[in-house]
Amino acid sequence: MNNIGLAFDGAWKVLVAGVLLGAGLPAIFALGIRALAYGAGGDAEVDHEAGHPIGKVLAILCFALVVIGIALGITYIVATGFGKTLSFQNFYPTLVSK
Amino acid sequence: MTTATVILGLVVATALAFDFTNGFHDTGNAMATSIATGALRPKAAVLLSAVLNLVGAFLSVQVALTVTNAVVKIQDKSGAPSAALLADGGYALLLIVLAGLCGGIVWNLLTWLLGLPSSSSHALFGGLVGSAIAGLGLSGVNWVGDGSKLDGVVGKVIMPALLSPVIAVVVSTIGTWLIYKITAGVAQRFQEAGFRWGQIGSASLVSLAHGTNDAQKTMGVITLALIGAGQWSDLTAVPLWVKVTCAVAIALGTYLGGWRIIRTLGKGLVEISSPQGMAAESSSAAVILASSQMGFALSTTHVATGSILGTGLGRRAEVRWGVAARMLVAWTITLPAAALVGAAMWFIGHLLGGLLGAVVVFALLVGLAAYMWVRSRRAPVDHTNVNDAWDTDASKLSETLATSPARI
Repeated sequence: MNNIGLAFDGAWKVLVAGVLLGAGLPAIFALGIRALAYGAGGDAEVDHEAGHPIGKVLAILCFALVVIGIALGITYIVATGFGKTLSFQNFYPTLVSK
Repeated sequence: MTTATVILGLVVATALAFDFTNGFHDTGNAMATSIATGALRPKAAVLLSAVLNLVGAFLSVQVALTVTNAVVKIQDKSGAPSAALLADGGYALLLIVLAGLCGGIVWNLLTWLLGLPSSSSHALFGGLVGSAIAGLGLSGVNWVGDGSKLDGVVGKVIMPALLSPVIAVVVSTIGTWLIYKITAGVAQRFQEAGFRWGQIGSASLVSLAHGTNDAQKTMGVITLALIGAGQWSDLTAVPLWVKVTCAVAIALGTYLGGWRIIRTLGKGLVEISSPQGMAAESSSAAVILASSQMGFALSTTHVATGSILGTGLGRRAEVRWGVAARMLVAWTITLPAAALVGAAMWFIGHLLGGLLGAVVVFALLVGLAAYMWVRSRRAPVDHTNVNDAWDTDASKLSETLATSPARI
């Protein structure tokens, strides 16, 4: 049955995209949190000092990446409603008609 | 008012009722984790989700007029209803749609009563399949499509239902595992605040995607009924009032909050922490968006449940497999069960015929809905007790209800 082949064909693409975005972005977010805490006492801290400034810069970079990812997600949802879709053909995302 | 107008009115009311159940049935998909971890207060969570669903519903400018084509053959490729069904003001078409919607609503309410997340789209498709089989015979159902793309009951319902939870489990297991690896040893104060925001953001994305996808389905069904009854003829647009009422219905449903289902998803499957919540919702959002990009029709519910299960696995936390197994059973029987109700409703409506038939079907639906609502009041779950510990006598209620209905 053709449907089964087509389903697996779609499924693995969804899986790859899902792992990259759905697990990758949270991992980057987690890196950001780790960076934010860089230089501050660990799990057993008592002093509650602020993290190292470099950590803060790295954290902002990480969070910015995640925000871009989310912005792309929202753009995609909105664009779909207007009959457009995101194309990654030029590497950077562009809106094209479906 | 003619008979046809009254029947059309009943169909529209039933479709909006379905949209409403669709809303509260799926609140948990987006918000259960944020509610369970305390990232958002329960009322704030359902309000946020409702607003995003409302916005999402208005964002869907594209017309989903051909939504029923996925599973039944009551309209052609352009969206026009089959000519054979249009006699007597589209009575045959309206009865099939009405009975199908009833099947979807009854199944949604029953699974809500039992606190089981099950797919609203599959319930709708199931109801339509049932009423189409009853009204048109087995050939009235689009079982496998024409083979050129994923289509029909197999391609749009069965295969995605089998594959999407697995995909979500894998994605969120990996995500959870990574998050815990990366943040191991990081002071709690950094984790709590950070992941709370991450969780709210990712859950909002799921809500927005839900609004754009699901409200459209009801808009398509109502517009189909209007065309069938000769009250609308444009195949490229949905009437504005249909769009507004559908958006409001799904948002109100979402705001009502299906607390029983939220509870099962947030507390029943696994005990969730903020990092897990974020992993689960990111996984859901990514899988839902990626699949709609690739034309792979999947159910938000299956994805959300798979994601939550995955966060339990990724952290090697306890997963309540009994709860998971009950959900699995519910998913398996969603289509046939809704189909049975849809078919039964069609036969009742057809036997009585005309206006009486449609009115009796509608009255039956109202009666069943009222009965299930009364049953739910015996052990209410709302925003005050949604987060209570799972393993207490009170929370076993749904299980008791399922196994020995006579006792309560």
